[in-house]
Amino acid sequence: MSVKIKSGLEIHQQLETHKLFCNCPSVLRNDEPEFEVSRKLHAVAGESGEIDVAAKHEAELDKKFVYQGYGTTCLVELDEEPPHLINQEALQTTLHIALLLNCEIMSIAQIMRKTVVDGSNTSGFQRTVLIARNGYVETSLGKVGINALLLEEDSARPVNDDGDLKIYKLDRLGVPLVEIATEPDIKSAEHAKETALLIGDILRSCKVKRGIGTIRQDVNISIPGHPRIEIKGFQDPKMMIKTVEVEVERQEKNLKSGKDLKSEVRGALPDGSSKFQRPMPGASRMYPETDLPLLRISRDIINDAKRTLPKLRSEINEELRKTGLSENMVKAILKENKVEEFKALLVIIDEPVFVAQVMIELPREIGAHESVEDINKVLTMDIIESVLQAVNGKKISRSDVKHVMEEIVKGKSFDEAVKIEKVGVGEIESYVAKLIKEKPGLSVGGYMGLVMKEFKGKVGGKDVGEVLGKLMK
Amino acid sequence: MKKPFKKPEPGDKVEITLENGKEIGVLLESHDRGVLLLKLGSGYNLGFKKEDVSEIVVLEKGGVVKVDEEFKISGKKPVIDFILTGGTISSKLDASTGGVKDLTDANELFKLYPEIFELCDVRIKTPFMKASENMDSKDWARIAKLVGKSLNDSSVKGVIVSHGTDFLHYTSSALSFMLGKLNKPVVLTYSQRSSDRGSSDSRLNLICSAHVALSDVAEVSLVGHASSDDDYCYVLRGTKVRKMHTSRRDTFRPVNCKPLAKVWGDGKMEVVSEYNKRGKGKIEVDSLFDDRVALMKFYPGQSPKILDYYRKNYRGIVVEMSGLGHVITEGKNNWLPKLKEVIGKGLFVYAVPQTLYGRLDPYVYSAGRKLQDVGVVFLNDILPETGLVKLGWVLGHKMWRGSVATKRKMLENVSGEFNDRLGFEDWVC
Repeated sequence: MSVKIKSGLEIHQQLETHKLFCNCPSVLRNDEPEFEVSRKLHAVAGESGEIDVAAKHEAELDKKFVYQGYGTTCLVELDEEPPHLINQEALQTTLHIALLLNCEIMSIAQIMRKTVVDGSNTSGFQRTVLIARNGYVETSLGKVGINALLLEEDSARPVNDDGDLKIYKLDRLGVPLVEIATEPDIKSAEHAKETALLIGDILRSCKVKRGIGTIRQDVNISIPGHPRIEIKGFQDPKMMIKTVEVEVERQEKNLKSGKDLKSEVRGALPDGSSKFQRPMPGASRMYPETDLPLLRISRDIINDAKRTLPKLRSEINEELRKTGLSENMVKAILKENKVEEFKALLVIIDEPVFVAQVMIELPREIGAHESVEDINKVLTMDIIESVLQAVNGKKISRSDVKHVMEEIVKGKSFDEAVKIEKVGVGEIESYVAKLIKEKPGLSVGGYMGLVMKEFKGKVGGKDVGEVLGKLMK
Repeated sequence: MKKPFKKPEPGDKVEITLENGKEIGVLLESHDRGVLLLKLGSGYNLGFKKEDVSEIVVLEKGGVVKVDEEFKISGKKPVIDFILTGGTISSKLDASTGGVKDLTDANELFKLYPEIFELCDVRIKTPFMKASENMDSKDWARIAKLVGKSLNDSSVKGVIVSHGTDFLHYTSSALSFMLGKLNKPVVLTYSQRSSDRGSSDSRLNLICSAHVALSDVAEVSLVGHASSDDDYCYVLRGTKVRKMHTSRRDTFRPVNCKPLAKVWGDGKMEVVSEYNKRGKGKIEVDSLFDDRVALMKFYPGQSPKILDYYRKNYRGIVVEMSGLGHVITEGKNNWLPKLKEVIGKGLFVYAVPQTLYGRLDPYVYSAGRKLQDVGVVFLNDILPETGLVKLGWVLGHKMWRGSVATKRKMLENVSGEFNDRLGFEDWVC
């Protein structure tokens, strides 16, 4: 791309905690709602006495909003009870992210109300607080500054938009959301993607939600002479390059047309283009949340966050590779999010490859063979720990592990499964002698396979090896 | 801290100097003396410990908020007198300074609540601005006199009183007794969500109040959200209404009765109960009140010695009794001897239901009969707060003093405070 663009990213990531200002669980519900409440919102004047241009645009639509609720939502989401004090766990996760982004953390912040009257917040505003700023991430093209790190409540989830009636679910309203806004340091569409992936890596190492809809990315773009345009709603970072390119073309055309251009918010479309959503909101839509005290982030809280700071996924990757695990194995552990469990199991038996086999490979194999939908629910970490302890305590041998796990999957309890009928060496000897007579000339491995098949988990490979060694002389 | 060249005030754009740099923003009012609060260009507010600030320089003095739209009295629409007394509904967050201020200016009200100005010509009156928990009987009398003036002004169609929610039901009771039989509607209203929010309940409450003020419901009524929906409001009888939730919009519930009516934002009204209709005559305000009355709640194991205190300092008390109207009538904390003693010495003792819902009955258990025998008077299905206000109002009048006259007046249904037919549906709704 030849034209010089000015671009910054805004990344929104849900945190894996209870809601930000109440004690409701952050769970999304797809069952029938338990109740509905209908409301209307009005445009209100901001601090300057003027109604925010974006807020006015939305309120002018004079819509009726219906909110669907469940037992997992409370009066706070309904705007019928003042917010509770900010969720400390969400705050700590935000501080982790701030530290990993090399930010300066604010010592006294004020929780703000950002006027939003499209109905996505029952209160008519979104609560948001500036936690940190002036950070950076290192990219291949130099540092990209982090302008602001905000902690805010997620909006209600739209169910439909049927003309005058908009329906929302309250389940998502209030889920803690971190917003990371970069400086306009991004130099190209490719660079935007790299930066997004780097920040994504930092986020995934912290206590954040995973899966579709838990991370949302917006891009701010302007070419010289054009006002800033925000494009919202990327699910797939892969579309970012195309969208930025299309937007730059659009802005070039705009400049040539000589139209009066204004900052606006546009929605990303799947084909890389975008459509107008609303005018760019101004600072006048922000005013203090008077129901909550100032948020003080003390030295102690910051030190606590430092002490519990998670490692980056790239660092963990490196660390796991050093233990001698294969790349596939490392990927599998990261994918299943079992780094902590893996480390805990190494305390029982300090052999990374064996532990990874027992923890990841065997359950996958057995799960596939026995057609179990979620093998991790059957072979829980508790059971895997017990299995390894049984190996360590020589109650079972390593070659028994698979058999024991299979028996558990088939329905036996752990205690039943580890009671393995052992076949005596004498019995093995007589079987091997018979085999050699019936099928002479096989290799050691060949006989071994046949013996193991006959006795299944009831003999150890070592015993069979010894017998074969003796009788095949 | 160096002396700044101009004294910085909230609303000014300032530059502050900190140990590790400078910060520019608009200075805000701070509730915390040790914290200096700034609004940054992004709109976010940040706090700084005052001891960390070495210098403040005023870059620009704060501007005066311009009012772009002015409302005018048309002279053609019906007139409503709008009495502001304080509370959430008539306060506004001043985001330029971060403080909360009272809304007494008609232009500002017009900006917040333009709909009611379309419906009628509004005349604003502000006797005082108080949170309702700070009001007393003198404030009720002041409001009553002001309302009375409006009611006797032939150009006025109806009156709206806006009020804090906490003790709104005390004021509605007081006005019900003090204003007597009405010629025009007197509507009390409120909000539970401040007017700065897009979601404020005040809009629907106010527009519905205006519709009721223009209607023929000549009662002291309380108008507010019927449910959590922004759908319609209830019109509730002033003597049989109570704040039942700390924060919900539909906090005011009718107790032991149905609403008078339902009213929608577009003016549609659905009558539910009988009411007094608009008339031509004048009214007389009767705001006499004796403050030497108290409301107390009986609880398990309570010593009757507390009654000595009340006898010394009060003329009458209203006691929230258990169940159908009981207190301890045996053992070491038996209330009967003490009650007999204090009533004999001149204290009026009235029983009201602690359960709020339902009616007292002294005849079901012997405890009730014994209480009646020592002189306790049972106030049927009255609300405790209404009982207290009524007792103060009755005792304020010389003609109703004396145990027989007081009792007679207390048991008379003066302003719908009793309902002698509790219906199946007159229950938590």
